[in-house]
Amino acid sequence: MSKIIVMTSGKGGVGKTTSSAAFATGLALRGFKTVVIDFDVGLRNLDLVMGCERRVVFDFINVINGEAKLSQALIKDKRIDNLYILPTSQTRDKDALTREGVERVLNDLSKEFDYILCDSPAGIERGALMSLYFADHAIIVTNPEVSSVRDSDRILGVLNSRSRRAEQGLEPVSQQLLLTRYDPDRVERGEMLKVDDVLEILAIPLLGVIPESQAVLRASNVGMPVILDEASNAGQAYTDAVGRFLGEEIEHRFVSPQKKGLFSRLLRRSA
Amino acid sequence: MSIFSFFRSAPRPSAVQAKERLQIVMAHERAGRTGPDYLPMLQQELLSVIAKYIDIDQNKVEVKLDRGGDCSTLELNIELPAREQLKSAMAAVKGAKPEPKPADTADGEAKRSAANGPLTDGGVKKRH
Ligand SMILES: Nc1ncnc2c1ncn2[C@@H]1O[C@H](COP(=O)(O)OP(=O)(O)OP(=O)(O)O)[C@@H](O)[C@H]1O
Ligand SMILES: [Mg+2]
Repeated sequence: MSKIIVMTSGKGGVGKTTSSAAFATGLALRGFKTVVIDFDVGLRNLDLVMGCERRVVFDFINVINGEAKLSQALIKDKRIDNLYILPTSQTRDKDALTREGVERVLNDLSKEFDYILCDSPAGIERGALMSLYFADHAIIVTNPEVSSVRDSDRILGVLNSRSRRAEQGLEPVSQQLLLTRYDPDRVERGEMLKVDDVLEILAIPLLGVIPESQAVLRASNVGMPVILDEASNAGQAYTDAVGRFLGEEIEHRFVSPQKKGLFSRLLRRSA
Repeated sequence: MSIFSFFRSAPRPSAVQAKERLQIVMAHERAGRTGPDYLPMLQQELLSVIAKYIDIDQNKVEVKLDRGGDCSTLELNIELPAREQLKSAMAAVKGAKPEPKPADTADGEAKRSAANGPLTDGGVKKRH
């Protein structure tokens, strides 16, 4: 049986797609057969971040509507063996996502895959609701910023009341926090919420802290999940988070400011 | 923190304010998730009680809510009708007693309840 993960946040632009691409790639690198699905109907982007935008022929909605077979719409990653992408439609709207249709596709995928990762759109409308409805695990992507934290709390409420597991009285969807775009220097200056502040408020376990990193933009420029940039902070932080997701105990890195040499300190002071 | 920064009363870091604001607003939102929002109904019933005694213009009612950590404030500002109308209304309610300077009484009432700290059930204030 496969596990269904949703990458969700409520708020837009916090790093769901970046994290979905990184996580799916990380799980596949660990040997799990993984598919990542774009639920952001009308605003297809996962394909770009994964670097497969030129290979999209059919999409998720085509499969739901029976216009294409699942095997025709799945795109196999060129770099990593166990990794597949199911892109979304660029032209339709989110009403095309019917619960029955989504369930059918997920059932078919679960016969083949170890992990099904759903990249949620922003908001709490149909697309977001459908992406989380069937989830076993939820990764709550949050930025250390007031509106993102509040929206994450909203989404936790939705997971606890409107997911399949909630509606059917099953074991609740497991929930973990992925705090992204974290800037330890700003935290130290008192300008940004600390990891502990966010944890205290949301009260869910911490999966990882992804630092604000220029590597993320570089990676998306070239269509490569940032986790493959092994030299980058962000890439390493995602690798750690995947390890933790699989139950390993890994200490959190990149949560305090990098030790600076005297030279760069002098530079900052004069800046 | 040094004793000097205490006296200077350094501004609280913005992150600290962010955390406090979040804790307050989210405590309310979480509570609101269970059970219906009673505020609209409360407001309507309060207004209908007041309307029994005073002829108020529904468009001149201002409702303010301030959700706080320990207590919340619901403030109703209702513009009362002009002095003449009020006089006759008072006369109708109180019978033929001598005129008790209704305007001042209303003002004093509002000031007193404001001084008492947060109004938990609404304040009526007269405006000229
Ligand atoms: N750790 C990071 N450091 C720097 N930039 C980041 C980081 N994570 C994400 N970003 C940037 O933030 C922007 C939004 O990221 P992304 O598209 O992953 O968010 P999203 O939550 O999927 O957005 P949407 O809600 O629109 O789907 C992108 O420009 C991305 O490059
Ligand atoms: Mg996205």
